[in-house]
Amino acid sequence: MDIRFSGASVSFGARTVLQPLTLMLTERRIGIIGLNGSGKTTFARLINGLVKPTTGTVSVNGLDTVRDEGAVLAAAGFIFQNPQHQIIMPIVHEDIAFGLKNRGLKTDEIERRSAAVLARFGIAHLAKRRVHELSGGETQLVAISSVVVTGPGILILDEPTNQLDLKNRRLIENTIAGLDEHAIVISHDLPLIERFERVLWFHDGKLVGDGPAPETIRAYREAAEC
Amino acid sequence: MLNGLNVEGSTPLHRMSVRTKLAILLVLGVALYFVSSLFVLVPAFVLAVGIYFTTGLPVRDGLSRLKPILFTIVILLIATAYLASIREATEAFFRLMALVLFAGAVTATTATGDFIDEITRLLQPLDRLGLVRAADVGLAFGLVLRFVPDIFNHYQAIREAHRARGLKVRPLTILAPLIILTLKDADTIAMAIDARGFRRPRTDRNK
Repeated sequence: MDIRFSGASVSFGARTVLQPLTLMLTERRIGIIGLNGSGKTTFARLINGLVKPTTGTVSVNGLDTVRDEGAVLAAAGFIFQNPQHQIIMPIVHEDIAFGLKNRGLKTDEIERRSAAVLARFGIAHLAKRRVHELSGGETQLVAISSVVVTGPGILILDEPTNQLDLKNRRLIENTIAGLDEHAIVISHDLPLIERFERVLWFHDGKLVGDGPAPETIRAYREAAEC
Repeated sequence: MLNGLNVEGSTPLHRMSVRTKLAILLVLGVALYFVSSLFVLVPAFVLAVGIYFTTGLPVRDGLSRLKPILFTIVILLIATAYLASIREATEAFFRLMALVLFAGAVTATTATGDFIDEITRLLQPLDRLGLVRAADVGLAFGLVLRFVPDIFNHYQAIREAHRARGLKVRPLTILAPLIILTLKDADTIAMAIDARGFRRPRTDRNK
């Protein structure tokens, strides 16, 4: 994984939500922390081109997020804070197949890949279930599966344990720990990211902390308690 | 088409192609519009009831799916009875109910993905002429079916919030937060559709 920010900033009208930023991300597990409205989600959305930089550039594995948007979207999957919003089809197996259909894959290949991803995340028994009947943890696993099935090398997860009970939080925590893909995780759930290789801390649209998880999380906790 | 959820099964309707089902529905819709005899409308209604409840839908689920549309039909009947005659209102009832039940049977026996594929295929000629984007129309149709239960959940949550605060549940006070919530969801859903690579890439920067 090679993600590069070169003087990238984001403004909406006169309001700057992310100050110019130059950095490189290569680690397998990266956490993003910060208070609400600190620019975490904007930063994460810059990576897969959902938000475009107002100034500067962002590239993912050499692909520019503005010029090569389609390829960037394929390389970096995004799992939204509310997984219900990204599940497009009403039945689990239909939703898993949705992304593959859009890529023009043949029916046999779609079925093979869908079955494989459902088995990988231990949710094969949910294949024929209606999505609005799933529990929070199941919905999150379906959302992750529907992105992973298309084969992105990078996964961006926006508060994946938000609103989950302890059991489902553990389930998602273990799922993220076991992912083969690179993962960038935005979270207020600090234990989820405490073993990550690198943590970025945002405050008021600025990157104020960047380093190994223990040090960055400690500094963040101290600042939040002041 | 009701709440847009199909039931697994192997009835003749399940096996029939989506195109055939939609064609039959279209023909029935047009034909029943021109019929005003109760000798035809009542048997059509009875047939529709029979078909609807042999799709595999549990009776309770089948009836609950009809509730929202029944409300609209009742309002229409009262208006027809008042402005025209009771006989015309009766004809309208059997005509509309037959159509609703036929449409419900089609919905119950067709997977959303198949609907989307068929609509996309049917619109391909218009897509080639540059008049519509067939895939977008197909997806829009699928999204309506997918998110009806979610909107209903929002409605229930807002209603409960009203009750919890001791407020009287009024359509107007429910409608405003429901619309706001739905529009907020729509923004994120549009972004999620982009993230899943459905739509053609945009190249604009944030202004």
